[in-house]
Amino acid sequence: MMATMADFGTRETPQWCPGCGDFNILTAVRAALAKTGKETHNTVVVSGIGCSGKTPHYIRTYGFESLHGRTLPVATGAKLSNRKLTVLAMGGDGDGYGIGLNHLMHTCRRNMDMTYIVHDNEIYGLTTGQASPTSMKGMKTKSTPHGLIELPIHPLALAITCDATFVARAYTGNIPHLTNIIAEGIQHKGFSLIDVLQVCPSWNRINTPDWFRTRIYDLQKEGHDSSDKTKAYEKALEDINSGYEKVPIGIFYKAQRPTYDDELPQLKDAELVNQDITKVDMSKTLAEFE
Amino acid sequence: MTEFVWKIGGEAGFGIMGSGLLFGKVFTRTGYYAHIYSEYPSLIKGGHNTTLVRLSEKHVDSPVLTNDLVVALNKFAVEAHMPHMSKSGGIIYDSKDSDIKDLKIPAGVQLYDVPMLELAQKAGGDMLMRNTVAIGASLALLGYPVEHFSDIIKETFGRKGGAIVDINISAAKNGYDYIKSKYDVSKFPFKFTPKPNSERKLVMTGNEAISAGAIQAGVKFFAAYPMTPASSILHYMAAKEFEHNIVVKHCEDEIAAMNMIAGAAFAGVRSMTSTSGGGFCLKVEAIGMAAMSETPVVVVLSQRTGPSTGLPTWTEQADLRFAIHASQGDFLKVVLAPGDMAEAYNVTQKAFNLAEKYQIPVIILSDKYLSESYSSVDRSELKAIPIERGKLITKDMKPLAQMERFKRYEFTDDGVSPRPIPGVIGGEHIASSYEHWENTFSTEHFETRKKMVDKRARKITLLEKELEPPTLHGPKDAELTLVCWGSQKTPVFEAIDKLNAEGLKINALHFVYVHPLPKKGIEMLKAAKKLVIVENNSTAQFGGLLKEHAGVSFVGSILRYDGRQLFPEDVHTHAKNILQGKEKDVAVVDKEPVEFYTARFVR
Ligand SMILES: Cc1ncc(C[n+]2csc(CCOP(=O)(O)OP(=O)(O)O)c2C)c(N)n1
Ligand SMILES: [Mg+2]
Repeated sequence: MMATMADFGTRETPQWCPGCGDFNILTAVRAALAKTGKETHNTVVVSGIGCSGKTPHYIRTYGFESLHGRTLPVATGAKLSNRKLTVLAMGGDGDGYGIGLNHLMHTCRRNMDMTYIVHDNEIYGLTTGQASPTSMKGMKTKSTPHGLIELPIHPLALAITCDATFVARAYTGNIPHLTNIIAEGIQHKGFSLIDVLQVCPSWNRINTPDWFRTRIYDLQKEGHDSSDKTKAYEKALEDINSGYEKVPIGIFYKAQRPTYDDELPQLKDAELVNQDITKVDMSKTLAEFE
Repeated sequence: MTEFVWKIGGEAGFGIMGSGLLFGKVFTRTGYYAHIYSEYPSLIKGGHNTTLVRLSEKHVDSPVLTNDLVVALNKFAVEAHMPHMSKSGGIIYDSKDSDIKDLKIPAGVQLYDVPMLELAQKAGGDMLMRNTVAIGASLALLGYPVEHFSDIIKETFGRKGGAIVDINISAAKNGYDYIKSKYDVSKFPFKFTPKPNSERKLVMTGNEAISAGAIQAGVKFFAAYPMTPASSILHYMAAKEFEHNIVVKHCEDEIAAMNMIAGAAFAGVRSMTSTSGGGFCLKVEAIGMAAMSETPVVVVLSQRTGPSTGLPTWTEQADLRFAIHASQGDFLKVVLAPGDMAEAYNVTQKAFNLAEKYQIPVIILSDKYLSESYSSVDRSELKAIPIERGKLITKDMKPLAQMERFKRYEFTDDGVSPRPIPGVIGGEHIASSYEHWENTFSTEHFETRKKMVDKRARKITLLEKELEPPTLHGPKDAELTLVCWGSQKTPVFEAIDKLNAEGLKINALHFVYVHPLPKKGIEMLKAAKKLVIVENNSTAQFGGLLKEHAGVSFVGSILRYDGRQLFPEDVHTHAKNILQGKEKDVAVVDKEPVEFYTARFVR
């Protein structure tokens, strides 16, 4: 019997601020898992630390709430041990684009077969409102009371540069679109980065629902060719290049190439987890020391 | 008893380390034991490299300071090693590139002028083949048939095609014949004869023993970032990844490696990482995550001389406290410090069992000395320890009711909770770095928090029974007991043998299980008359632990922190002095010529 959205539910009620975009991401992830026919026991959701990091607690699958910034390596270890699992990683913009950025670039180039959802609220939420790597230049936060000096990171452009094979963006104000994008990411064979523009009613007074509403448009409705890497790259920088007049969402880039686990002959016959470790034959290996 | 020390010295980049292994294997295949020990600065080319091969009829596991035959590939090697020659030892050199007329060679030391380059070239080889010539020459002096060396050449270079094999064999013969024709080999006092039908011994480094032990234990996932002296674990595992179906990942950094193995262990496979101090720093946060989420991981920490970048290619035992206390919070972990190759092989397997049975992080401490030295072992010393996976659940259970989660952190009598892995029906749960309820959901409920701490700590009751007591070496009742741990076992035990042979009542206790301390070990310490702590660091870190946990005190200490490990001679001299009341606290240091290590060769 196929798992329903309710099967992915948990008893505990989420404890995010009223109006937080995390609620919508949670709804969309549960819906996307049901929609793609995933089972609760064969799914692993790994998170980092942040408001976003709490999401796996409200999705009834296997999960790992790991460390701030370490979402991707933990998810990678799990996936390589059992490639049959559907692995989702999720965390904040601070988690993925700040402290854990190194892992993002390498996971892209590895083409790990998993879906990474970044709750991008352009702020550090859990630690009560400091600038994040995607905060806009000039933004005044607790850690930048005189205005942020740095320019923001461009996560999608970065992921395209690092050869991720599915690069998309969605917005928490549009749940059906968000659900579809996550479902496509899950179904994509390879590494999917989904940057989710998320409102933070408590700490981000700049990127509010009103701010997003006037700027966001759907790439797919404009007929964007997601197989065109150069176009994708251009679109990934459109927000900053247009002075934030236009903020595209949708699938920027999609490509096919072998995943990391595809290239491991060690996994041809069985997943690591299903290999018998009680009968290791050391005779040949030890003879090499003679 | 036949015992002999051969040393080859010269500039880095001339295959010095490789030739030590080939020379040693000539003997370990024909009935003898060998210990092979290399020293090298942190350079790829240049700098003075040495490899020492110690041969014996009995097990040898440490180098000594006195050489019987030195192969000097340049003049500096003659200069550096001639002060450390045995009385009737010899030096093989090449007067064509080393003019040593100005050197004062110690009386009794024989010089063997062998045109190594010329003989190599005659065979069709080059500079790199001087080593082969020198091995041939050495075998002639020892009265050993050169054919045993030819066999090893065939096996080692066979893959590279026939020509290279022939050139090497004829280079070896040239060296052998040259000595025979120019010198009276009967004057060289050290002689060996092959022992027919002897079982070939296994020659492995500490890192190879740890790696092979991990493979024997069923490691399936290995992730690391290179760092001397741990890198050769990564290299070995990578070379074996297809043969044993292991996923080996060279990661972007040590943080990734540690977190990946936690993810892999969570998913149900035995996983390991290895590093040295600097990389261990980066792993510390995730070691705590493994503890809180009760994820079994094995971490190898091969120490080098610290702090910071320190002396990258030299040794020390100064990360013990760091390993024991790694990561914030109070939690249980096990730290194991094997003392020789067989122990490294066997203890690594036990590390996996302990990690899985108690769902805790286990750290294996090695150091440059153990990790990179070779010793020969009898195959029977390497055990296959039965695999124990504790409360791992791999079979489907009853599906959970909607909204329910599996009680992964259930309160149990022994503190260990059932551990279903992803894929198992009915086991859905979160592995959490946060404090949590039994059903894995986060909590800040005080009473539950306390109960969880107690649950995790309670594992010690069963675990304690598996902590192995230290090995007592020497007579049961002794005037003085040397206390050591990890890699310093071999020099200490050897010194004890010698002191006992001289009639001195002295023994040693060697700890492999350094944390938590085995109760029996504490009793043994208390039963000793007088204790002396022997460690390869400057603050007697283990001694401090014993003072704290066993309430014992030490009448003296033998420490070393100049970059080298203790040699048996060091321990012998100072233990004797302490026993005779001539010394108390000793810090050993070697006084080699400065050029040995510095600017002269650095490019
Ligand atoms: C190593 C480490 N440094 C700092 C923190 C404290 N910390 C927790 S969450 C967080 C930032 C959260 O921001 P983000 O990742 O954007 O997630 P959000 O809360 O906005 O969803 C920080 C700095 C931590 N948990 N670990
Ligand atoms: Mg954020």
